[in-house]
Parts: sequence; structure tokens; C-alpha cells
Amino acid sequence: MNEPTTIKVESRPEETSRTPREWIRSNLFSNIPNTILTVIFGAFAIYAIRGLLGFVLSGERRWEAVATNMRLLMAQGYPANQFVRVWFALGCLMALTGLSLAAWKASGRLSTTKISIWVMNTGVGLALFAVLAPISPASRFGWIIAAAFFLLVGLGIWFGLRGENKRPSGSVPTVWFSFGFLGVLVLSLWTVPFGHYAFVEGELVAETGRTVAMSTKLPFTVMWMILVGSYFFGVQIRDYIPTGRAKAVLISLWFLSPFILNWIVLRDPDFDYGHIASTDIPLALLFILGGGAVLYILTKPELGEIGRIIAIGFLLFAVFNWIAAFFGWYSMLQKVRISFVLLALAALIAPNFASDRKTRLRFVAAWSGLITISHWLITAVNSPSTLELQGPTYLGGFSLTLFVAVLTLLLSFPLGVLLALGRTSTMPIARVLCTGYIESIRGVPLITILFFFSNILPLFLPEGMEIAELAAIVTGYTLFSAAYLAENVRGGLQSVMRGQYEAADAIGLTTSQRTGFIVLPQALRVSIPPLVGQAIGVFKETSLVAIIGAYDILRIANSVVPAQTEFLGVKREGLLLVSVIYFIVAFSMSKYSRRLEERVGLGER
Amino acid sequence: MSETSSPSYHHQKPPFYRDVTVVKWLFQLGALALVIFALWFLSSQARDNLAARDISTGFDFLSIDPGINLSEGIDTRPATGGRALWVGMVNTIRLATAGILFATILGLFVGLARLSKNWVVNKLGSVFVETLRNIPLLVQILLYGAILANLGDLRFDSGWDNWVIWSNKGLSVPRVFIADGFYQWAVFMLIGAVAARWAYNLRSRLHDETGQNTYPGFASLGVLAVFAVIGWFIHPIFGWAGSIFGGIEDGISKIPEEALQAVLSILAIVLAVNWIRNFLKSRRTPGGAAQLTDDDKFRVIFAGVGAGLAILVVYVVWPGLSSWMINSSSDLFGVLEDKFGNGRTGGPFGVDRPEVIKPGKFEKYGPSGLTMSLGFAAVFFGVVLYTAAFIAEIVRGGILAVPKGQIEAANSLGMKRSAALRTVILPQALRVIMPPLGNQYLNLTKNTSLAIAVGFSDLVQVGQTVGNQTGKNLSVFAIWMLFYLACSLTISVAVNFFNVRLKIVER
Repeated sequence: MNEPTTIKVESRPEETSRTPREWIRSNLFSNIPNTILTVIFGAFAIYAIRGLLGFVLSGERRWEAVATNMRLLMAQGYPANQFVRVWFALGCLMALTGLSLAAWKASGRLSTTKISIWVMNTGVGLALFAVLAPISPASRFGWIIAAAFFLLVGLGIWFGLRGENKRPSGSVPTVWFSFGFLGVLVLSLWTVPFGHYAFVEGELVAETGRTVAMSTKLPFTVMWMILVGSYFFGVQIRDYIPTGRAKAVLISLWFLSPFILNWIVLRDPDFDYGHIASTDIPLALLFILGGGAVLYILTKPELGEIGRIIAIGFLLFAVFNWIAAFFGWYSMLQKVRISFVLLALAALIAPNFASDRKTRLRFVAAWSGLITISHWLITAVNSPSTLELQGPTYLGGFSLTLFVAVLTLLLSFPLGVLLALGRTSTMPIARVLCTGYIESIRGVPLITILFFFSNILPLFLPEGMEIAELAAIVTGYTLFSAAYLAENVRGGLQSVMRGQYEAADAIGLTTSQRTGFIVLPQALRVSIPPLVGQAIGVFKETSLVAIIGAYDILRIANSVVPAQTEFLGVKREGLLLVSVIYFIVAFSMSKYSRRLEERVGLGER
Repeated sequence: MSETSSPSYHHQKPPFYRDVTVVKWLFQLGALALVIFALWFLSSQARDNLAARDISTGFDFLSIDPGINLSEGIDTRPATGGRALWVGMVNTIRLATAGILFATILGLFVGLARLSKNWVVNKLGSVFVETLRNIPLLVQILLYGAILANLGDLRFDSGWDNWVIWSNKGLSVPRVFIADGFYQWAVFMLIGAVAARWAYNLRSRLHDETGQNTYPGFASLGVLAVFAVIGWFIHPIFGWAGSIFGGIEDGISKIPEEALQAVLSILAIVLAVNWIRNFLKSRRTPGGAAQLTDDDKFRVIFAGVGAGLAILVVYVVWPGLSSWMINSSSDLFGVLEDKFGNGRTGGPFGVDRPEVIKPGKFEKYGPSGLTMSLGFAAVFFGVVLYTAAFIAEIVRGGILAVPKGQIEAANSLGMKRSAALRTVILPQALRVIMPPLGNQYLNLTKNTSLAIAVGFSDLVQVGQTVGNQTGKNLSVFAIWMLFYLACSLTISVAVNFFNVRLKIVER
């Protein structure tokens, strides 16, 4: 019988298990220089940890400044009586996360070896803390007990589950472990007195509504329950529904969520239903039916060249509408202009869907969905908000940071891809324009671009047109990060083999088909890791909006809290907290990108 | 496949709107028109808006007193806007240079630490890198600024015995400065460098001939050191160099303006013609005739148009260009004449220790030690630590990229560890390290612009203030762009220079 050739997967060489003594000898004291290094740098490490703990736990630190202002730092200025909207938005994201974990069958498993090592490391960390921190003997004893507890639990897991080769066997699904970890965090809100300074002799002393730890434990518990509940719900029903469609729905929900959660849930538009019934709904129906009919005809396979000419005609018309608007030749609703542009773009890609009836109907259905959602969002954005605001915007603190980062990433992605395509194209003018744009943007610091858009942009706008501060920031930041993103995508484009282009040409694909179906999917797959790196950078540099006057988390910690009369000049605590928050997000994203890099198998294919 | 494809199929031209060349050019011209239209529209709006607000554009603010005080720099009360921006540029360059130097050293050490087999050293390196590069630079700068601002008041016993002093007045170290005799000494060192080069060649030839270890590097360094020491005492003998520069200055100022204009125009034409000729040569087929595509023709036209534009600039758009070139270069040589002049007899360098004369006051701000203001220190520590974390990763990656066989080969040749590192590993690692390192230098330079957050007067902070004072934000933005583009160009030219040197020599 012909044996199938099996590729022998090289497994990791069996780790020789060493006793702690051997480990210490080979890693710390193998020879005299090594021993000297260990002693010097060990002393330095202990000195540094002691210094850091002394700084954090010193009696001069006023951590209550941070704890009291937590709401300000997270969602500055959002009306307290409407705060349930924030929780609702967070809950939606939790439910989406849970369902996505179920739909993508998150199947990672954590070995018990790893878990027990983590638990033991926590114990060692606590023991170090107990020894080095400047705390009273009584609390030192408490920390030592906690350290001993963790060490015992870790050792218990290690020896209780020990299989062959002296290590614990078996593993736990990563999802369960993460849920458990988050559960412990939530539980700590109920048990650890984070905001206890607010109680003096059983009475709440701090101003009502300012301490957050007390008021958030219930919502956070609900969030955790939504997350876990939606995951198990998803697991239960995922065998009864087509997975592909469920994933498509979830992906589109993820893409829509920033817009809907921000402009509908958080902003709470005050819809004028009379106007909606008289104008908006008929308009949307007109575009759905009329546009749908046009697109249905345009996707006819036998239409040929005429379809393209009609599409170009639509495009010229749509562009002409905007030119006419600038010169005020005739009036037209902004929404209608946008819809015509969308229709023109749909008509341009319509020939790619020229196929049987079913495909064409699906294309038309997608068009209806697009119109429904875009009209809904445009109406919502144009309606006044019902919130009673103190500041210029309902976003502030960490929510502003997230909003700017997410919106910038979403908007700069298509722009960056277009720029990268332009830069690698064979068309000289397009190439020169794109290269010039990318290089000149990359040559200057982000802060100057932000200054340009917040200070100078108003000078360029036509009479009577204004741009909100936040919109100016996001525009400038998008244009900036698109240039960097384009360079990442360009790297991916250059890795696509020439043969792929030639093959696409050989089977007679058009340029747009070749780009959309052959080149871009391969290029983007390669550029995923650098794109995640770019996303981390965008998230980190969101902090720069603090300089130009937006109230993000950094500005609140750096200038709002230190200006309060109770906490005059208390800056370092808030800045440390901000550092920790940024660190947690950026660090977990970079860990994820490293795993992603392994998964897309760079260098293996 | 249809069997009835007509024989004339291949000759059938597609309709013009499906012809790739036509569509391509139509699309590009459309895009160009759109961009030009948008720029025209925006600039016309800006003109109207500026006129309505009674603000004029232009660069006249460069010679008008902006009425601002700067926190620090070569001139804290600049008399003109241009001077203020110049102070900002000097501050930025200072910050960037110091930052690049220290970030490189620190990053190199941390990167090596991350490769160490010693567990403690290795983990310290990892913690350094992971912490510092995941916290935004601005947050770090503000945090360091807040910590530094809480240092104690300046007292007699702040710091270590007038060598290093730290207080809320800033961080002070002894100052090493260029004294009167420096330029003459530099000439002496130039001769020393030639001599060192000669010694290097001599010793390496000896090494090649005899096979003995002749230490050419140490020998040349020794020669240089000898020259430095001797030059310290006898450098005033180069006082005559000043008169040479004076002669050059006179010569340049005698060049007529028209001659320079003519030379510049001829240069533009010669360059364009040369480029076109080379281009056509490169497109020549073995058959002889040049095969030009549409794109190629377009490029040739562009080169011609570029030369024409350059001539237009020289004669019409900016007729003062040539006289400006003449004046500024003769000024430059005038300055050099002064620097090399005969009257300068002091030593090349001087040292000054910071001295506290009473609590809260240094002796003099200028000559007493080198004091890093709190703003400078915050930004400096921020950019150094942040960039060092990235440089460490680059160094580590570069060294890991050297194939293991190379190290094993060096070992099997019996090379010492240090020799293997110096002659086998580092040269190969540098090739990988250099390009991303240059990128980090660029990032560092751009990141110094965050100094505005702690009120350090770098170019962006000064520009912002001047712009707000005079309403010339647009002109200031143009200056920012030019300055940072110039910095980028300088750094990439320097990095490229090393890159070319480090390249594997291929046949």
C-alpha cells in the first residue's frame, strides 16, 4: 500500500526539566562576569521596584483625586441622568464580543502548566511587594498571607494535575479563563473598597455622583453577565444557523457599531417625526426602488458597454451636483447628493455582479440596506441632540480617545488603500500626486497637521460653512494616518507576485476586478501585522488631541483634575493612571498582533 | 471558445472609451484637474476670508518684532519673527541631536541586554522595552515634566558637589564649550586626520604583508590624539587661515549677478539635456531606435518643462535669487574670516561647573554649567527613553538576523568573542539595523515637536506663538513643513551614506 507522504512536523525538542537549582546556576551564576552582572542588576532592579512602590504608595500621593474623578476621566461631561446610554453602548459591544467569540469558535486553550506558572508568578510578585513596599507591618503580614495563598494555589495546580514528564497535563479553554479572570475583577468591585474614603462613619462624604466605584459595580456585573451570556447563547445556537451568514452579519454589525452607538445611542438624536414621515421616508423609498431598479437593469449580463457609459453618466451627474452646490445654481438636499454619489459608485461596480437573477437580486438588496442605514444615520446626525450638555460635546475623556481612534482608523483605511494603489500604479500623474502627498505628510509631525486643521482650516472654508472642532481633528488625523497606512499597504502590494497580475490579465479580468479580487486580498493579508502596529500607533497618538484643546483623558488628567480646588496641582497620579490605561490597551494589542503574525504565517508561504 | 471569430478580430480597435491609454490619461488628467480645482478653490476662499478678517499672508512678519518672550534658547527676547523662529529651530536641533545620541547609546545597551543569557539582565531589558514603547510619548513627557516640577528648591546641597545639580530650576552638569581657539585647532585636527589616515593605511599594509597584528585603528587614533594635544598648545599658528577666507569673500562678492543667472540657467538646461539623453539611451533597444511608451514621452516632456521652469524662476519669478546666493555665500566666508582671525589665542575648549551662589540662584545662567531646563529635560527624557525602546528592538532584531552559521564559523576559526562580534556579527547586523534606525531618528526629530506640551520653546511652540500673535499661521505652517522636510532629508542622506558603505560589495 502506498503510504501517504506525511510531512513530519518538527515538534519542539523535549524541554529537559531542570531543578530550580540548576536553572539558577545556568541562568544567573554560570561564571564570574555573569555573577557580577546578576548582583549589580539584581540590586538595581530591587532599588527600582522599591523606588516605584515608594512613589506610588507614599503618603503624599492623593489617589482619591483619581478615584473621585473616574467618571470625568472616562466620559467627561456626559449627563449623569442619561448615563444609562453609556452602559447600553458598552453592553451592545459586550454582546457583540460574546457572539463573535462563539461564531468564530474561539478554540484557544491554555495549558494548566501556564496557568499554574501565572498563579505562582502572581504569588512571587505579591511576596516581592510585601517585602519591598513601604507599608505597615500589619498590612505587610496580610500581603504575605495573600502571596502564600497564591503560591499554594499555583503549587496545588502543578502537583495536583501532574502527569508524565513532571508537569501538569490538560488545558482549559482560553475563553473560560478570560471570563473567569474578568469575573474576579468584577467581583473585586463588590468586595474591595475602592472608593471607601467617601465614607466617614458610615456616611457618604464626597459629592454625590462623583465617586464611581460604588455606582459602577452593578453595571459592570451586568456587562460581565451580558458577555458570558451572549457567548453561551451563541454557542447554543451556532449549530442551527449558517455560520457564514452569521459571521457576515456580525462583521457588518462591528463596522456599524461605532456609528450607531455614537450618533444614535450616545447622542440621542431628537427625531422630527413629522419631517421624517413627509420627507425622509419617501426619499429613502424613492432611492431604494428607483436605484434598485436601475441597478437591477445595470447588472444585466447582456448589457455590455452601455452599462458602463450609463454609470459614468451617473458619476458625472453626481459630481456636477456638488459643483452646482458650491456655486449655488440649484438647491438640493445634502442627503440626495450623497445618495447620488453612492448610486454612481454602485453603478460603477455593478458589471462585476452581472450574473444570474439571484446574484443580481442580492446586489439590489445590499443597495437597499446601504440606503436605509445611510439615510437613517444622516437623519440622526442632522437632528439636534436631546442631551443637556455643559461642554461643547458629549464625548470626553476616554470615550473621546476611543472615538477619535476608531473613527480615524475606519476612515483612513480606504483612503490609505487608495493612496497605496495610486503610488504603485503605472500612471505617472497619479503616482506623482500620491507620492508627493504621502511623503510630505510623513515628513511633518502630527501636531503641526492637527494645528493646521484646528487653526487654519476655517480660513479655507467657504463663507458660512463651519467645521466642528472634533470633526476638524478627525479629518486631520485621518489624512495624516492614511499616509502612513498607505506605506504599510504598499509593502503588501509589493509582495504580490507579478505572476498574479499576469494571470489575472490572462483570464481577461478588468483592472478593477484584478485589483479587487486578486491583488488586494493577497496584499492586505500580508500587511495585517504592520496594520495592527499602525492601529496601536494611532491609538497612542490620539493623546495629541489634548494639545489642541480637546478634552481627552490625558487633558483631563493633566489640566482639569489639577485645577479642582480639592485636588489643586495633583497631576502625577492622574498621569500615572493614564499611562497604565494606555499601556494595558497597547500592550494587549501588540501581544495580539504578534500572535496574528504567527497565524498568517509570514515567511512560511 | 467561439469558432467564428473573424480574422479581422486582431485589427479591430476598441472603442475610444475602452482604450486603456485613453482611459488612463483621461482619468489622470481628471484627477489632476480635480486637485488643481480644489487647491484653487481653497486658496481663493482663503484669500477672501483673510481679506475679510484683515489679515495679510506673506512672510513680512519675519522681520517684524513679534513681542514675545521665549522660555529658553540662544535669544530669549527675539527682536524679529524670523529670529524667534530661528531660536526655535536651534532648540529643536539641539533637542533632536542630544536625543539621537543618547537614544542610540541607551537603545544599543538595552538591545544587547535583551539578548543576554543572564536572566535578570534579560528581564530588565524586556520590561524597559515593553513598558516604554506602549505608553504614548506625550503621556510620558507630561509625566516626567510633572515629576521634575516637584523636585526640591535649589539649595547649596542639591545634587552632587557642584558636578551634577538637580532641583526645580533644572538639571545642571558641567558645561564644555567651544572657546576662542577652536576653529584654528580644528584646522590642526584636519591635518591630524590626514596623518591618521596615512598611519592607518601604513599599518594595514604592514598587516597585509607580514600578517602580524598591527592594530591600524589604534595607531590612527593615537596619531589623532597626539595631534589634538600638540594642537591645544600651538594652534594660534593657523591665524593666517582667516585671510584666505577674506580673499574668497572678496572674490565672491565681485561676481556679477547676470553671470550667476546665466550659469544657473545653463546648468538647468545641461542637467535636463543630460537626463533626457541618458533616459533615451536607457530606452534604446538592441536594434538601435529608442522604444518610447506614452509614459516615457511624458517624462521627457516633464524634464524639459522642469528646466524651463527653473530658468523662469531664475529670471522672472525670483530675480533676487542670484544676488541672494552671492550675498549669503560671501557673508558665510566673512564669518569664517572672523572665526579664524589672528586675535583668537584662547584654548579650543573650556569647562565650567555649575555653581550655586545662594539658595534658588545659580551664579550666572549662561556660563555657569550646562543647565537643562525642566521643559527640555522632560522632552529629552521622553524622546530618549521612548525611542531607545524602539531602537533596542531594532538592534535585537538585527543581531538575531545574522545567520547562526556565521557565529559558528567565527568560533571555529578560533576568533575571540569580541573579535567575532566586531568583525563578523556587527557588520552584518548593521546592514539590517541601519534603515529602520534612520526611521527612528526621523521619528525622534518629529517627536520633539511635543515639547509644546511642557512649554519648551521648540520650533512648533515658537511658531504657534508667533502665528497667534501675528495671524500668519499659514506662513508659519509652511516654515514648519520646510524645516521638518529639510531635517528628514538630512537624516535620510546621512543614513543612506552609511547604508551604501555597509552594503555587501557585489560583482
